[in-house]
This record gives sequence, structure tokens and C-alpha cells, in this order.
Amino acid sequence: MKIFVTGTGIISALGTGTEATLQSLLSGESGIDVIRHLSTGHKEFPAGEVALSNEDIAGMLGVGYPENGLRTVLLGITAAREAVSSASLADTDLKDAAFVSGTTVGGMDKTEKYFKSAFDAESKTEDSLELKYNDCGYSSAMIADNTGCFGMVTTTSTACSSAANAIIFGANLIKSGVTDIVVAGGAEALTKFHLNGFNTLMILDMDTCRPFDRDRAGINLGEGAAYIVLESEESVKRRNVRPVAELSGYANTCDAFHQTATSENGEGAYLAMRKAMDMARLSPGDIDYVNAHGTGTPNNDASELAAMERIWGTQIPAFSSTKAFTGHTTSASGSIETVICLLAMQHGFIPPNLGWRIPINEGGIPITGTDKRKDIRNIINNSFGFGGNDSSLIFSKCQLH
Amino acid sequence: MNELIDKLKTQLIEALNLEDMTITDIDTEAPLFGSGLGLDSIDALELIVLLEREYGIKLTNPAEGKEIFRSVATIADYVSKNRTK
Amino acid sequence: MNTVSHVIITPEETLLDGKCIFRGSITGLYREFAGDYPKFFKMDSLCRLGFMAAELLLKNIPAPIRENAAIVLFNRNGSLITDRNYQKTISDDNYFPSPALFVYTLANIVTGEIAIRNKIYGESSFYILDEYNAAQIEDISASVFITSSPSLLLTGWVDYNDETDYLADMKLVTDKETDLR
Repeated sequence: MKIFVTGTGIISALGTGTEATLQSLLSGESGIDVIRHLSTGHKEFPAGEVALSNEDIAGMLGVGYPENGLRTVLLGITAAREAVSSASLADTDLKDAAFVSGTTVGGMDKTEKYFKSAFDAESKTEDSLELKYNDCGYSSAMIADNTGCFGMVTTTSTACSSAANAIIFGANLIKSGVTDIVVAGGAEALTKFHLNGFNTLMILDMDTCRPFDRDRAGINLGEGAAYIVLESEESVKRRNVRPVAELSGYANTCDAFHQTATSENGEGAYLAMRKAMDMARLSPGDIDYVNAHGTGTPNNDASELAAMERIWGTQIPAFSSTKAFTGHTTSASGSIETVICLLAMQHGFIPPNLGWRIPINEGGIPITGTDKRKDIRNIINNSFGFGGNDSSLIFSKCQLH
Repeated sequence: MNELIDKLKTQLIEALNLEDMTITDIDTEAPLFGSGLGLDSIDALELIVLLEREYGIKLTNPAEGKEIFRSVATIADYVSKNRTK
Repeated sequence: MNTVSHVIITPEETLLDGKCIFRGSITGLYREFAGDYPKFFKMDSLCRLGFMAAELLLKNIPAPIRENAAIVLFNRNGSLITDRNYQKTISDDNYFPSPALFVYTLANIVTGEIAIRNKIYGESSFYILDEYNAAQIEDISASVFITSSPSLLLTGWVDYNDETDYLADMKLVTDKETDLR
């Protein structure tokens, strides 16, 4: 059974909307900069923040503020509405559709703001009550409610592979006959939880990140949201819409190595890419581009490259990590990078791996300059999360009969 | 020095949840990582926190830990030379 | 789906295929039925609970069959117990966040710990539900067999609130008559 992508929506450090994202990618301009919105003592770390403030986004969306003040929700509504409208989905289409959203922090931004005062009688305010909106499911429900009246809403939370797994879960909902249409992706606002947590693990880079560079020194965090509309072939025909691409294969595997580190030979990553190609009935030579997880940590990039070498030997297809554009958008990265992949396919270019200078080894040279190629048929998008939770998605140029 | 070594062993057991271990079970010279006690990268980070909290030593690069954390003896040596509290 | 084996762990007792095999704490259960994995003591309570349930379910399954298993677990409290403990390490003004606790502030680490111990490379996911919902767990578990073809599925509920309030209700299932020897 074929699953098609019929719409996209995105907001990240590269801008608001699919078109703005395309322009930023083509101009090669990174969205990573000094931290402006997040209240933190750790301003020494650059990050890929969405340029707009919460108030700006609420104003743009026309939703009440501050009552809709969770940043994850605001980013999510922006991307979800764009996805729905770009797929020309009407309210009547949504009533049986599912909304599947990946996140790990949900409303953590407000928890961090009000946690102390909520338990302190003197400084307790009305705002402290916003603590109850912390959970991930609440964020998904708020995004869904402000986008349309969906038949089903659910959340996936598997750290940095959350949005990729939301897409996998969405595709499975269609294949199992639960629904014909799914809006799937993820939303994640940058919080102290990310910055302090990743800093505790000593995997943040104080300079701009350099994925796949020999001297890479860690991650720049990012934030954002992206959703794609998944649809069965029958629904695509019934609604007479033109698909952007086919989701031809996907797999989720476990690295079974360590809670946060990845195995030296990239077992989980290898299996995820292999199994996704098996589902898509593609051989390694059919893949024209790999959008790598490529976080910029010494461990991830070495392990992911090892996995690619196991599949392609010295013939690794064009690959790049776009995290030097967006920062590592953690739970939203799977869908944000999916939209980037779809743009690359539609417009015939490979987004460059910014910041790269020196190869890890002879084979590990990512695409760095503007690479315009006409025909990108099949793309693998990798997303790996803590817990060894590894997912690969394959998008293929459409063949609709 | 022996006093510091025993104190470090006690702190190691506590910080790294080495259940069922006493300070006599830890060989002062034996490697802590790899075989030895089977510690991993998260334990190394926990040791970095321990050095800062207990001895005022700030390591900014986890790679520095490799040499320092080779054994209890190397930690004791480093702590005695660099402690600020 | 066929149930191969079923385990229930509560503060009161541990039932394997309906038979009480142990009374006592999770650590006691570990000492009785595992005992050879010091990493157990580094895990948070949720992981220890899921880990022991998996130990009991998988102990007679040969490694080549385990390898292609999938893991899908569910709970209500996520990793709240560790979130609270981690919060304690950062609540002082002069604080030292614990990396060892931070890694357990994600509920899905329990699926990872089980996979690491048992060398399971298949699909894994973790769902947080409003409350225990057998039908929903059954539906999602069944869906795993639609797209991937795991040799086995380790599925069920694993929820830890505090030492007097926890429940693992986990099963090993197959979608056909797999030969498990």
C-alpha cells in the first residue's frame, strides 16, 4: 500500500513557512546565532532559535495571548496550519483524520518559568497555574485544536527521533485502515531543559557546529516545528490532489548499545536504513541523497558514517547534515529535516553541510557547496534518539497511477 | 594520600551506584573503565561533577578525564595537585 | 496475537504466567533471578522494573530469536520519578546537575535498557497514556506486526510512581506459531 505526502508546513531558525525555508537553504545562510529568547545563564552556546517571539507568533496566528503562550504549541500551530492548507484539506477531511505529533518537552518552558513560584505561597500567581500545561499530550491537543477538528490526536515521545516516529506511526495508521489522512510531525521549543541537559553531557559546541568534520566538537541546539500530510492513494485520487512525494519506506530499530552513546559500527543506524530500503524495495544504489542525523558530536557522526560505509562502502551517495542550518531541533528534527528533504527533491538541489572543513576519513566527505542536480529520486532521512532509538524514512519521487 | 584514596573510593561507590561494593573491593591501581568496574561515558561525566562539587576542580573537556580517571591512584594524584577545596 | 509468556510485578508479588514466583522488592527480585548485571544498580526505578519484567519473560528465548524482537511499552507517569530526583539536583542555587540522572529523564530509556541487555535490535517505542487502557495497548501492539515482522513482541504496561505504587504487566507475544526453541 502506497503512502503519499500531500502537504508540508514548517517553522525553524530558517524562517516561517516552506517557501522561506527553501530560500534560506538556497542562500546557504545558517539560522544559528546567539541566544535571544531563551532565558538562560548559558549564553555562551549559540543556538538555532526561531526569530519570532511568542507574542509575535500569537499575533501572526490570531490566537489569544498569553493564554496560548506555550512556545511548543505556538510553533506547532504555525507549521500544522501550513501543512493542512498546503494539502488543501477542508474541515470535512479532517474529521476522520489523525494528528500525530512528536515532542519531548511539551510545555516545559512554562514549567521552568513558574516552577519555583508555584510552591511558594508568597510569590504564587495566577500564571503559576500554567504548570498544569506541562505535559506533552496537552501541547499536541492544543496544536490540533487550533488547526482543525481532528478525529484522533496522539503524541510520540522518543527523544530526538520523536517526529520521525510520528510519521512512521501515522503511516501505520493509514496502512492498518484506521484513517486515510494523517498530519504527522513534531514541535519542540528550546528550553533550559535541553540546554542544561545537553551541557551536562558535555556535548554542546560553543562555536557553530561542524557535523562530519574531523574536529567537530558537539551540538548547537535548535527549535521549531514541522508537519507533513500523509495520505492513502485512494484518498489522493478521491480528493484529486497532487502528491509532493511518496513515503516509500521507513524503519525504526534499536542500537542496543548505550542510553545516550551510539555504537562504534552504527548497528542501529545501519539496520534502520537497511530495513527502510527493504520496505521501499530499493537497493543502496537507488539512493540519491542521505539527510544524515549528523548532530556534530564526535560519537554520532563517526557511528553514522560507519553505518553508511557498511551499506555503501566507498560509494556513499551525496549526504549532508542540515543541523548547521537549523541547529539540532531535537524532537522536531525528524519532520523539519523531512520538509528539507522534500524541498531538495522538488527543487533539485542538495542542501550543503555548512561548517565542514576536514574529512573524518577518505570516504566521509559531505556535500558542502551548492549542489544542483536535476533528478533526486530517493532520499533517506535519518533521525536517532537517546535510548538507541533509530529511525530512517525514505521519500521517493511520485509514481501515481 | 591513603586517606584521600579511601575517601575517593567511598565517593565513587556513592556517586556511581556501585551497589554491593566496599572500598576494599576497589583496587587502587586497577583500571576503572573498560574492564575493571565496567564504567561508561556517563560515569565519566558523573566523576567530572564529583571533582567539581567535592574538590573545586573544573574540567571543561571530557577528553581530559581519560588520563585522570584511569585508576583511583591517578584520580588521587590529580586531586591532590589541583584541588581548590 | 499469541501470548508466549506473561509477567506481573507489583510491590506485593511477582506473577509469572499466573504463578507467584517472588514476594519482595525489585532489587530482591534482581538478586533472585538475575544478579549478574551491575548496571542494574545504575538504572532508575522505571528501568529496573521494566528490566526485571523483561528478564523473566526472555530468559528462555534463544538469542537469535530475541535479536529480531520488537519492544512497545506503555505507562501513565512517564519518567516522573526521575524527573523529580533530577529536579532535586538542580534546585539549589549552587547546583550540580547529575548526568547519570539526566539520561533517565526520558521514559523510553527503559526500552533501550532492555534492548541493550538482551541484544534486541528491532523496533521500539514507548507510549504515555492517560490511564491503563487494555484495548488501546492491544491495538497498538497488533499494529507492530503490520509493518515490521518481528520474531517476538515484548509489550505491556510499566509504570513506577513510588516504592509502594508500581506495576509491570508485560507480555511476550507472537502473531503466529513461531517456534521459540
